[in-house]
Amino acid sequence: MADTALLYNPTTLQTFALLTLLLPLLSFGIGALISERYAWAVTLCAPFLVLLSLISAIVVAATQWGLGTLPVAIPWFTVYGYTFSAGFMLNATSVCMLVIVSLVSFLVHVYSTGYMAGDAAGKRYFTMLGFFTFAMQGIVLADNLLSIFVFWELVGFASCTLIGHWKDKPQAIVAAKKAFLLNRVGDAGFMVGLMLVWSNTGTFGLQDMALALADQPVGGWQTAAALCIFCGVAGKSAQFPLFTWLPDAMEGPTPVSALIHAATMVAAGIFLLARMSFIFTPAALDVVAITGILTAVVAALAALSQHDIKKILAYSTISQLGLMVAAAGTGAFGVALLHLVTHAFFKACLFLSAGSVIHAVHQGQHQAHKSFDVQDMRNLGGLRKRLPFTYITFILSGSALAGIPFFSGFLSKEAIFSALIGWADNGWRWLVVVAAFGVSFLTVLYTYRMIRGIFAGDETVTADLAIAEPPVIMRAPVALLAGASVWFVFALNPFVCHGWFLQYPELPPHHTALTIFSTLWVLLALGAAGYIFRSRNPFESALLRNTFYLDSYYEKYIVRPVLAVSGVTNRFDYKWLDGMIHATAYGQVTVAHFVAWFDRVIIDGMVNGAAGLARSTGRFTRSFQGGKIQLYIFWAVLTIIIFLIWTLV
Amino acid sequence: MQPYLISLLIFTPLLAALAALLMPAETKTSFRILTLAVNIFQLLVLVIMLRSWDAAAGLQFVEQKDWITLNMGSWGTLQAQYLVGVDGLGLPLVALSVVVMLIATMASWTVYKNVKGYFTLLLILNAAVIGSFTALDFLLFYLFFEFMLLPMFFLIAIWGGPRREYASIKFFLYTLLGSILILIAMIGLYTSVHNPNTTGHLVHTFSLLHMSDANNFISNSIFDPNNVRMIGPWNAREWAFLFLFIGFAIKLPMVPLHTWLPDAHVEAPTPISVILAAVLLKIGGYGLARIAFPIFPEAALHFSSFVAVMGVISIAYGALNAMAAKDLKKLIAYSSVSHMGFVLLGLASVTPEGVTGAVYQMFSHGVISAMLFVIAGVLYDRTHDRTINNYSGLSGRMPAYTVMVLIAFFASLGLPGFSGFIAEIMIFLGAFKAPSANGLLHEAFAIIATSGLVLGAAYYLWTMQRMFFGPFNLKGGIPAESIYDLDKREYGMLIPLGVLALLFGIYPQPLVDIIDPFARNFTEAVLNTGRNLGATLNP
Amino acid sequence: MLPVHHLLYLGALLFTTGLMITIIKRNAIMVLLGLELMLNAANLNLIAFNQQTPGSPDGQMFALFVIVVAVSEVAVGLAIVLRVYRYFQTAVPDEIRELKD
Repeated sequence: MADTALLYNPTTLQTFALLTLLLPLLSFGIGALISERYAWAVTLCAPFLVLLSLISAIVVAATQWGLGTLPVAIPWFTVYGYTFSAGFMLNATSVCMLVIVSLVSFLVHVYSTGYMAGDAAGKRYFTMLGFFTFAMQGIVLADNLLSIFVFWELVGFASCTLIGHWKDKPQAIVAAKKAFLLNRVGDAGFMVGLMLVWSNTGTFGLQDMALALADQPVGGWQTAAALCIFCGVAGKSAQFPLFTWLPDAMEGPTPVSALIHAATMVAAGIFLLARMSFIFTPAALDVVAITGILTAVVAALAALSQHDIKKILAYSTISQLGLMVAAAGTGAFGVALLHLVTHAFFKACLFLSAGSVIHAVHQGQHQAHKSFDVQDMRNLGGLRKRLPFTYITFILSGSALAGIPFFSGFLSKEAIFSALIGWADNGWRWLVVVAAFGVSFLTVLYTYRMIRGIFAGDETVTADLAIAEPPVIMRAPVALLAGASVWFVFALNPFVCHGWFLQYPELPPHHTALTIFSTLWVLLALGAAGYIFRSRNPFESALLRNTFYLDSYYEKYIVRPVLAVSGVTNRFDYKWLDGMIHATAYGQVTVAHFVAWFDRVIIDGMVNGAAGLARSTGRFTRSFQGGKIQLYIFWAVLTIIIFLIWTLV
Repeated sequence: MQPYLISLLIFTPLLAALAALLMPAETKTSFRILTLAVNIFQLLVLVIMLRSWDAAAGLQFVEQKDWITLNMGSWGTLQAQYLVGVDGLGLPLVALSVVVMLIATMASWTVYKNVKGYFTLLLILNAAVIGSFTALDFLLFYLFFEFMLLPMFFLIAIWGGPRREYASIKFFLYTLLGSILILIAMIGLYTSVHNPNTTGHLVHTFSLLHMSDANNFISNSIFDPNNVRMIGPWNAREWAFLFLFIGFAIKLPMVPLHTWLPDAHVEAPTPISVILAAVLLKIGGYGLARIAFPIFPEAALHFSSFVAVMGVISIAYGALNAMAAKDLKKLIAYSSVSHMGFVLLGLASVTPEGVTGAVYQMFSHGVISAMLFVIAGVLYDRTHDRTINNYSGLSGRMPAYTVMVLIAFFASLGLPGFSGFIAEIMIFLGAFKAPSANGLLHEAFAIIATSGLVLGAAYYLWTMQRMFFGPFNLKGGIPAESIYDLDKREYGMLIPLGVLALLFGIYPQPLVDIIDPFARNFTEAVLNTGRNLGATLNP
Repeated sequence: MLPVHHLLYLGALLFTTGLMITIIKRNAIMVLLGLELMLNAANLNLIAFNQQTPGSPDGQMFALFVIVVAVSEVAVGLAIVLRVYRYFQTAVPDEIRELKD
């Protein structure tokens, strides 16, 4: 790779990395500041800017290829001698993710110009889509944990606004709120992880941290920090128990679901796990693995009984993310990333294809002035004749999801299984392996069910509608993504995952026996699916469809108690705290009344008493001047007698 | 010109108030223009101050003039000076006050009742606020501190809502109680501190600078660090700290001394709410950082866990109450209680990050809560109804307003990219680091405080969902014609505040540069002096 | 000769009676009567003591004097009482209280 080494020029690298990051932000800025009259310009401008961003990403990737970790230093602000960075860390993982994020975002932008044509708020849509791309690339490029956190929250914000795009629909807003809130709960844990890291290593830079930790002995704080950071991962990547926002997020437009809730944002958690792999102690990794596989199982079961095609895909995403997290839990972060990449392509393809179906049936609905839920599988069926192209893309990406050989999904699932088997050295770990195989079985089942439900059989409600394939601008991205679901994108040998992509030292060893077993397992599952879903769905269950009523538990044991507590504090504030103040006020007035009484009766009373004394004394002495002559005589005589007696005796 | 900038800031509004009193009351516009001119003039002075600010130089623009010197023979000399200056703590708050006063003047444009009295009081309030943030003499500070209460009382009592008499009296008496406690401490300090620059003759001084130096205490005075007397469970210095703490905590406001705030905010007119939330609350934090902590550092260290716990309680309690609030202004008032809890936590941590975060939070919350109250005012001006449940789907009729609300709410809940996030993360880092860095607090405080993040998101998003999204519907007899989008004046108020919040979230370095030297000095002073004094008191 | 203390007792008795009449009686003329009695009691005393000193006629002369004064005083007194009676329509001293404070 000597040629590429010559290409490495730090300034070029920095420029192109900045371009990749900032071009989508420019798209956001234009969309935000331009007036509604020029909305059509935004619809043209946004995909173009993201295309430019994609090209810069490719340049960056090409420059970095084979050169290890390249830093791009951009200081943010300095406090007490420590400079928080806003710089980039470019290594194989990040440039790969960069290209994928830009590519999928670009394809979704192009698709959206067709899907969202005629939407009154198209400008707002593309504005936030650009902002999302910016924030997601920020996560990918960031070289320190604080930047990751900043962009992490911004991605959550963008996701929230995009889910709530159709803001007049109450369910959409509720779903948006739920998404942000559950992400926030995860982020609170992430914040505690940040605090732990800061107080124990004094730095946020990923490379500095790795160095600092290499010297230190493995301490309890690392497990705590790792688990706290995993909290953030669980929120963003929809792991148990914070995954309930993802099915509800399907209220947003389908391209948004494709970009954010399949390919990129939810993958950010896996990406973070890989970035922070050095902090995960074995104990933390065990927790991660268990959480991952539990999520995978629960979501796969739930997917089996959904009627809404987007919800099936949502639960499928959660399940696949669970597998990725489980793989990460074995320490094989590269394997998790491989599955992330393959999943990004085939899941985005699935979502966009589902979007094509929804779009096509919706158009037919409009013309015929009918109304039924286009996303409900029970209304669809037999659409293979009407939408052949979409049928094919569904089959291609669905096969990748199911892990059928010759498709990308098979390779990455293989890798996960070998990683798991390599890791399983004692009792409970084998359970995880078994569960993983169970999940892959279920994956085949629900994928088959979905494709069959939409395309096989005969048309029912849609029979008299005019349904046609969506325009080329929507079909082209889907085709590209479907193409990427096939094996040769990732490895030359369709059965071995060691290809040009997987370059990590922790390559799981390749067992031919495993390959054969998994091939047979998938075929068995296909056969079982064909058999089980001949007629009705035996997995029809309200329990599964409502994900074991997890949402109701949250509502009952978390949301309502918090609201009750807030009502209590409000009453406490009003009755007791304010009551004490009012009591002191009343008390003070009472004391004032008492003092007034005291003043009036006792003090003034003494004054008045003195006056009264003077009055009665005067009255008494005045009585001597009664005007009665004889009394005068009497008193005079008496006094004389007393005087005489006194002087003479 | 340079040295007199602070006096310009303080006395221009006072002179303008005097001029306003002399102007006839019929010309309403002239009062508005006068006040606006004063505010713009103050803004210009502020710009000059910022341009000549030297971050490394500590206190700047210091003015010192003899004010009261009373020779009392054998009892020494009473000396109170006109001593003003700004440093890393005061400058952001002075800047905040100038900006917020300008916004408040713009918001006061629609006051129609007794305009002369209103703007006169507003100008007096302006002067008092800036005086409080710059005074370095305790008596002068106390003077300005008290001076703020009376205009506020009248402003709420005359131009406020239905329960304004109750709210204004409650506000006035409650904060006056705090002032009395501060007065007691001040008098004690006056008798205990002497001016070291005058030899021979004993000069009692009110200067905060002299009070912060532990060597200036007169021996055998009540606050002499070498010879304290125990009064009950604590010694005299700790009692003084507690008095100062409670006095300023009432203004902060800290739970459980906060109940005056919801009533004052709900009943006050919009511009007054803006000033109350954005500026007056910060005096509490400023007082703690300027007076309580530096003068009694060992008591501060002794009580740091208590202060931090009260901060955390304020964060959680304020957020929970905000969730249960039915009135939009009450919700924002309680969210202010919650955010000021962060300031307490940051100060209690006595770490550079924590203290920087606390001052940053004071500035950031000032800007953001000003924006929030202007937003509440926009709605109230139109419909005179603040009940959250009466509104639904406002985004259709008021799209620009919805965007502003989105910005304000997300800034307030600490979304990165806004100044609130910078402040909160520094406080979290400082508070979590404190146990290992200087042996104060406990990690659990910072962990529990993160619940404020989740609760903040919860009540703000819920409010947005209820009021702005969904189908358009008005209850409570609000006519639909009263819902129209922002006018130019409202844009003029909201956009600068939003830009400030965004600017200091993306590019915090200028503000951090201003605060950092202060935070460092504060931390060192409190920790070192506190530990030394603590050692002498408890050998 | 009569022992002097007999006369003195009589005189005292008369005087006391006269004082009583002066003070208690409700008619102004009775007051004058009382006065007369007191004066006569004083006369008696004078005569009694004159009896002790037979040489000088001082006592008897003084007694004559007293009688004349008494007569003139009663004359004037009666005239006043008459005038008072005509003005106040009453002769009861208690009811004439113009001089009351």
